[in-house]
Amino acid sequence: MVLLKRLLTYGAIVVVGLMAGACVGLPTESSWGDVSLIGSPAKILFSFSDRIVQIDPADGKPVKLLDSDGKVRVDDSGNPRTWVLLSPTGSTVHYYTRPVQTDDQTLIAGVYEDKLYQVDAAAARIDKTDGIALPGHVIGNPLLTDNLLYVPISEGGLVALNRSDFSQAWRFIGDNAKGIWSQPLLVDGTLYVSAMNHFLFALDAATGTEKWKVDLGGALASTPVYANGALYIGSFGHEVYKVALNGTIAAQYSTSDWVWGAPTVVDNMVYATDLGGNVYALKDSGSSLDLVWTRKVATAAIRMSPFVDGDTMVVGSRDHNVYWISRTTGDAINDSGGKPITRAMNGEVLSNILLIPSTDANADPTIIVSTIDKSELLVAFSLSTGERRWVYSS
Amino acid sequence: MDFILNPFVTLLTFLYSVFNHDMVLAIIVFTVLVRLLTFPLTAQQQRSSAAMQKLQPELKKLQDKYKNDREKLAQEQMRLYREYGINPLGGCLPMVIQFPIFIALYEAIIVSLATTPLQLLNLSNRLLIPGLSSVIPLENIWLGMNLAVAPNLGSISLSNPLTIIPIVLIILVVFTTWLQFKVTTPPAVPNDDGKPNQAAAMSQSMGTIMPLMYGFFALSFSIGLSLYFIASNTIGIIQYALMGKADFRRIFNIGGAASKPVDLPPLSKVESRASKPVKRTNSSDKTAPKTDAVVKRTNSGDKTAPKTDAVVKRTNSGDKTAPKTDNAN
Repeated sequence: MVLLKRLLTYGAIVVVGLMAGACVGLPTESSWGDVSLIGSPAKILFSFSDRIVQIDPADGKPVKLLDSDGKVRVDDSGNPRTWVLLSPTGSTVHYYTRPVQTDDQTLIAGVYEDKLYQVDAAAARIDKTDGIALPGHVIGNPLLTDNLLYVPISEGGLVALNRSDFSQAWRFIGDNAKGIWSQPLLVDGTLYVSAMNHFLFALDAATGTEKWKVDLGGALASTPVYANGALYIGSFGHEVYKVALNGTIAAQYSTSDWVWGAPTVVDNMVYATDLGGNVYALKDSGSSLDLVWTRKVATAAIRMSPFVDGDTMVVGSRDHNVYWISRTTGDAINDSGGKPITRAMNGEVLSNILLIPSTDANADPTIIVSTIDKSELLVAFSLSTGERRWVYSS
Repeated sequence: MDFILNPFVTLLTFLYSVFNHDMVLAIIVFTVLVRLLTFPLTAQQQRSSAAMQKLQPELKKLQDKYKNDREKLAQEQMRLYREYGINPLGGCLPMVIQFPIFIALYEAIIVSLATTPLQLLNLSNRLLIPGLSSVIPLENIWLGMNLAVAPNLGSISLSNPLTIIPIVLIILVVFTTWLQFKVTTPPAVPNDDGKPNQAAAMSQSMGTIMPLMYGFFALSFSIGLSLYFIASNTIGIIQYALMGKADFRRIFNIGGAASKPVDLPPLSKVESRASKPVKRTNSSDKTAPKTDAVVKRTNSGDKTAPKTDAVVKRTNSGDKTAPKTDNAN
């Protein structure tokens, strides 16, 4: 029996060790992917885990790499090469943000492992494998202007780098603003930065000097939205705020749960989601945000911003479903058979939805939904019918 | 697991908010509270472990005597356990019950210190008190170190004493793990030939492996967990010391104590295993408290005597109606 107890103790140590290994340090994934469009004709640029890929929005297939003559590049085995950016040689990095394009030939990609890399866009190759050192992880999208590259650092404030040589122009860590998980917003020379320490900061975009700050009662994980001459943002403190450009809170609305995704503003309507699976339609009446409708759409958290196009709203949830609802009423949109358009996915849906505008060939716009499951990293749906068009898997 | 983990995460976050956003203090108090809650299980496990240790010489004799007859050996071992009122699984069950609790406690610290988007998203549905969301994310910087990440030994600089703290923490983890093991492990009873028996040999190896393994954990995993290990080990040592069973003189060889022969209480069929033995002399005593301590029955008519996992001595062999105990019958 003593032996049994010892074995149990050994077992406990192993179990604890395995759990620790699963939970501590860099987890299997630290964040979710980012989907954006790049180039002309537009390609989908998808940053996820240890790679960035370019996908053809028409069929969901990886874009082939072309040489200067327009011929498809081939690898050593003679197979066609596709546009995929992996980790630099000798290391493993994780891409959770969209690269920024500094010129026709160069992308700048931020990685979780405290670095920026310059990427040869034509060859999908990292030029300098040493990279540009940063003071922390990159999980919020960088913002590029004519002169500066602003890089939010997950635990180290905001860094502004000179675009010419990527030297540090300034760094903002004022008032313990350490955790910045979202892309800053630039409006008329002022940089609006939402921080995990509950403050929304306004900075001079050129110098990083703080103009004002406002405590919004909870962590701010999304970029503020500029519309109607004001800023709109949700907080973990169960609130959606309208903040005037002088830093005063103009209006607010209490939600049932944390608000993570940025609100979507259409005219004077503000649409927001929360981690309780609720969707809110709020009317901006100037000094108040008045509830028009709210629906508990999902059985789990909705992290993304609500996607809105015309009367159609689409949201995805951690419950592995994508829901089509009416922007006007909040009711489910039905298909031709009278059934609500809800699409089951293999994984949690956390990233914002990307719209592929309609073309002459395809009048019905496509939306791109991303999950964290490798079998359905990207799924294209018809916006109007919810028809599944293609799937990109790893 | 969520039914344990979520309250733990909520409690830890609540303590963080109560203690003025001091994560280290919250971890220590949190560990103390959980260790106190599980103390009855710990105490029972340790009592059972000690009783088993005392039986080792007898078991060794049986093994020698019946080394060619495994069936008979098993029968005799069970007879021995019954004779001394010991449940051979008595020490395992509390340990099994404690496993999910300690794993949840451990994981609660990791979950609460969420530093990545996915971790924070997972934390969001574990807080059972809505108002606590206002303190999220928890401050994880302590003395210049990030409690949520593994110690960075590459940053150690003699010019900055604060950078040495991770090393100090690792050493403390190793030391307190070793000390707790020594304190809570009963002294080994050697065989007749003076050599350590199998269990003692295994204990010795465990006493070396465990501290090193926890030291490795402290080196590899978050600093917050190192604080938990240190707090948990220290509380375990204090608990055992308060039970009067911590022999620091033997452990640290003060005054040559370690070289002296192990002085175990004489093995007897009646053993005192609790601080307050209950002696029954009247069968009508139906209000006697339940106990896992010694029950000495002097009256066979007592049908209401509580179940016990302790040593039971019957003075009336004709007692066929007495209730079964967990260990003795």
